[in-house]
Amino acid sequence: MTVRRFLLGAVVLLAALLLQGTVVNRLPLPGGAPDLLLLAVVAFALAEGPRSGAVTGFVAGLLADLSADAELGRTALVLTLVGYLTGLVADDAERSRVVPLVVVALAAAGAVSLYAAEGLLLGDPRITGDAWRRALVSTVPYSVALTPLVVPAVGALVRRADLDLLRR
Amino acid sequence: MAPRGSPRLLLVLLLLTAFTLTGLDLRSGEGSPFDALRRGADTVLGPVQRALGRGGEGEVQALREQNARLQAELRRSEGLQRRVDELDRLLGLPSAGAYQTVPARVVAVGSALGFGSTVTLDVGSRDGVGEGQTVIGGGGLVGRTVRVGPFTSTVLLLTDPGSTVGARLAAEGTLGLATGTGDGLAYEVVEGGRVQVGDGLLTTDAGTYVPGVPVGRVTAVDTGGSALVATAQVEPYVDVASLDLVGVITEPPRDTGRDPLPAP
Repeated sequence: MTVRRFLLGAVVLLAALLLQGTVVNRLPLPGGAPDLLLLAVVAFALAEGPRSGAVTGFVAGLLADLSADAELGRTALVLTLVGYLTGLVADDAERSRVVPLVVVALAAAGAVSLYAAEGLLLGDPRITGDAWRRALVSTVPYSVALTPLVVPAVGALVRRADLDLLRR
Repeated sequence: MAPRGSPRLLLVLLLLTAFTLTGLDLRSGEGSPFDALRRGADTVLGPVQRALGRGGEGEVQALREQNARLQAELRRSEGLQRRVDELDRLLGLPSAGAYQTVPARVVAVGSALGFGSTVTLDVGSRDGVGEGQTVIGGGGLVGRTVRVGPFTSTVLLLTDPGSTVGARLAAEGTLGLATGTGDGLAYEVVEGGRVQVGDGLLTTDAGTYVPGVPVGRVTAVDTGGSALVATAQVEPYVDVASLDLVGVITEPPRDTGRDPLPAP
């Protein structure tokens, strides 16, 4: 892991986190917004594999938990798993344009559902069947829509930061 | 950072760490050992949030052609007009009950993977804001501060399922609890309190919120066949989806404050 690669990860994750709250969540989009942090984690995982995916997901989740009104580690658990599993299909994604779309759709739906399941275990009053459906509908389509922009961009940045130390 | 070796081992370690953190955070409740970390995050990220959340109004226009620029200008002035109206009402509202308020702007909207309803304000402890203070918008109650950093504060909206407001009917005085449902409130009245569509709700002087703040209006009543308990759907006076200017009540009125504020 080089300094440049570390900085790249930090900058992308922080930018995603901050833009999510201050810009994306406030856009007058009907019904929801994309999840930038999730997209960033998936993009790193697809570019570098499960190891990078798990670490990036963990750090991204911790950042989200720290800045949100939630228990520490909750989002971290979800995004670690999402990053790892996404990273497993990294090879297929490199050759295809469709794979990232499918992966993001599955990752977003899985992340929302896992977060909801975790909330049920923790007794979070925000988690209801209705809220779960709303979160699915609001997060999945917009995240998929942003995929063709974010995934290749992060992939290109990773290649430029030039580091395969994290590669499988 | 990433040790060589099996990625699966790494995964298990990270998951266990996340799990342990959640457990520790949950068990320690109020005085969580991670509060210092949270304060740190607020201190570092707060100023950036303020800058990002306030900016971005004039950037797009500069890049567009004349036509688009004029349209944007028009929209912007409409937005400003709305903001002026909101501020006007905001100024009128607290003066009626002699509240001490700090004006604030919403700079960020929180969501954890699509769940949750909190907003971040551009005022914090340096502006005199503290935890648990009532936040009002032009039309009425917005929520209460649940987390305060030096530059920013987080507000739990009244529509959040984790939020419960002690409220009474403006006309009848019947007491009840209004719990958030995500996009509105569900108001439960006990013991045959009569609720009608169109009734207004005010906060009570039972603790959490400053009393007498307008909460919302009843849009539907469901008695569920029981004469004892009635549940009413309440639409907040404040449109939580498009919040911009709000006020944090830093000092409630000296007297009991039972005089209701004028409903909008």
